[in-house]
Amino acid sequence: MDTPLRSSAAERTRPTAWDGAVALGIVLAAALLFWLLLPRDTGGALTARITLDGTELGVYELSTVEEGTLVAVEGARWPITLELSPTKGVRVKETSCPHGDCAASGWVDAPGEQLICLPNRLIVSLEGEETPKDFDVVIG
Amino acid sequence: MKIRSLVSMTAALLVLLAGCTPAEESAERQFFAMDTVMSVKVSGPKGEKAVETVCSEISRLDALFSRTDPDSDISRLNAAAGSGTWTTLSGETAEVLTMARAYAEETGGAFDVTIAPVMDAWGFGTTEETYQVPDGETLQTLLPLVDSQKLTMGEDGTSARLELAGMEADLGGIAKGYAADRAVSLLEEAGITSALLNLGTSTISLVGSKADGSPWRVAVRDPADESGTLCVLELSDCALSTSGGYERYFEEDGQVYHHILDPKTGAPAQSGLSSVTVVTEQGTDADVWSTALYVMGTGEALDFWRQEGGFECILCQADGTVLVTEGLEGKLNTEESGDGYTFEIVRR
Amino acid sequence: MSVRRLTRCAVLTALALALSVCEGLFPLTVLFPLPGLRLGLANLVTVYALCRLSGREALAILAARCFLGNLLGGNLTALAFSLTGGLLALGVMALLLRVRGLSLYGVSMAGAAAHNTGQVLAAMAVLGSGAPLVYLPPLLLCSLVTGAVTGAAAILLVHRVPDFRFS
Repeated sequence: MDTPLRSSAAERTRPTAWDGAVALGIVLAAALLFWLLLPRDTGGALTARITLDGTELGVYELSTVEEGTLVAVEGARWPITLELSPTKGVRVKETSCPHGDCAASGWVDAPGEQLICLPNRLIVSLEGEETPKDFDVVIG
Repeated sequence: MKIRSLVSMTAALLVLLAGCTPAEESAERQFFAMDTVMSVKVSGPKGEKAVETVCSEISRLDALFSRTDPDSDISRLNAAAGSGTWTTLSGETAEVLTMARAYAEETGGAFDVTIAPVMDAWGFGTTEETYQVPDGETLQTLLPLVDSQKLTMGEDGTSARLELAGMEADLGGIAKGYAADRAVSLLEEAGITSALLNLGTSTISLVGSKADGSPWRVAVRDPADESGTLCVLELSDCALSTSGGYERYFEEDGQVYHHILDPKTGAPAQSGLSSVTVVTEQGTDADVWSTALYVMGTGEALDFWRQEGGFECILCQADGTVLVTEGLEGKLNTEESGDGYTFEIVRR
Repeated sequence: MSVRRLTRCAVLTALALALSVCEGLFPLTVLFPLPGLRLGLANLVTVYALCRLSGREALAILAARCFLGNLLGGNLTALAFSLTGGLLALGVMALLLRVRGLSLYGVSMAGAAAHNTGQVLAAMAVLGSGAPLVYLPPLLLCSLVTGAVTGAAAILLVHRVPDFRFS
């Protein structure tokens, strides 16, 4: 015949210091898990989204493109070519638009950054594991 | 182990966690208008529709105010300059022109929409031009054309004319602010309580606070560093505008020429300021005053601030001194500021 | 199995089922939206059975409770969740009851934490993804509270109802 477990725990009516240790263990486990699960700024999942006058033309995951990949933007009023790189990000390689400001801004490689060609109404925006910003908008 | 303290500690943690519930739905859109990229972000269930309304309203205003579209109100007004005929305008265009005349008077001519002929001479006018330094003679012939008093509004309130041939109006320094105010009133009519309107980085309007109730955090760009921050402002329910020479400029013979022209001299304003940010209720006021204060320079700008009474501003001087008016004192955060800036609070 | 033991197991299973149903009437998730969050009153019965009966009987009651409970109002996935959680809690509590120095507070909190861990593991297995793991830290913290509450109740239960005697 089975007998009940001989347990000192069952006899007590008040919490002991060891209960505190159990609680602390649970809190520590939760904290450790929470820390482990914190989103990491890997920079790996960086993607470039290309939008021409409101129409999305394509999304490129930068970690998977080959160095020196060139993308000619189809349908642009002034022919414009982008260069993608897994390490350096995106830049405007060549443009025939009147400003050329977009080419002058060089490489962009951080989530939230954008390349904009106004005459062509082209936006290349970098998206990814967003690093928390300390503000909502920049004025200037 | 005290169970009670454990319980209260856990409860506190739970409250913290409850604060992390998924964000409310929001709608966001980027679009091109008024020669710049704008973005509208609206929180709440009606966000999508509100964003749509704002976009189409701003595009509509853009079509009225454009100088590149030959059929726009402004193009027709400019084409008829000096002919003596009245140009019939939409209500909005007439309203903006009337406001622009009043601003020219109020700012002592530091802001003037009829600066367009001089801007064109420098190449700052429209998007597709090349920059050049006009010679003194050219400027002398163009300067008489810069005069808002010779922009006459018709008695009926829906027409206007430019009195001298060669005069031209350009709403570049006021249109975005006006569009922001129109957009904000549309959003308020739609019952939106939290929205961020970024009309091309230099003009921003904030409706209410963020969806979580905290104020919006607006970083003011460091004039010397495109990706740097001068300071961060915590604001809700207001409009902001920044003017700085860094927005558009060119170099010739080692000299830098920026696009904010002093209507009195026809040359880039040399006021010792590198950027001016105005915080106030109305976007139109913010847009116009930031340009006007930049042209005025510190002394005159602070006089204007004391006299006007309805706005606050940040004057970033080229020497690294940043003057902040007292109303912004508690909303200013300078932790992220670039090196070499000293902040001073200005009292009335 | 003797009739007496069978009967007391049946009574306790019924009690556990009733507690589960009661708990379902006042879901904690209304107060606090966290998937899988519950007070775990049925765990009381497991604690009682471990203390006053035996491990085998506690296991039998748990299994019967889970099967019957999900037969009444659940589905197979829910069964997997509650069974994994319940078994893990049972195992951890049976082990901790042998540790000197602990009271039923500590045992219950560990049991609640183990139950939540089991549920999340089951969810990960069912979904084939690590995503449910993000719920575990907050669930663990909640288990401190729910464990303390059920622990207090278990102390009352074990002391006021010292043994089942059908006489």
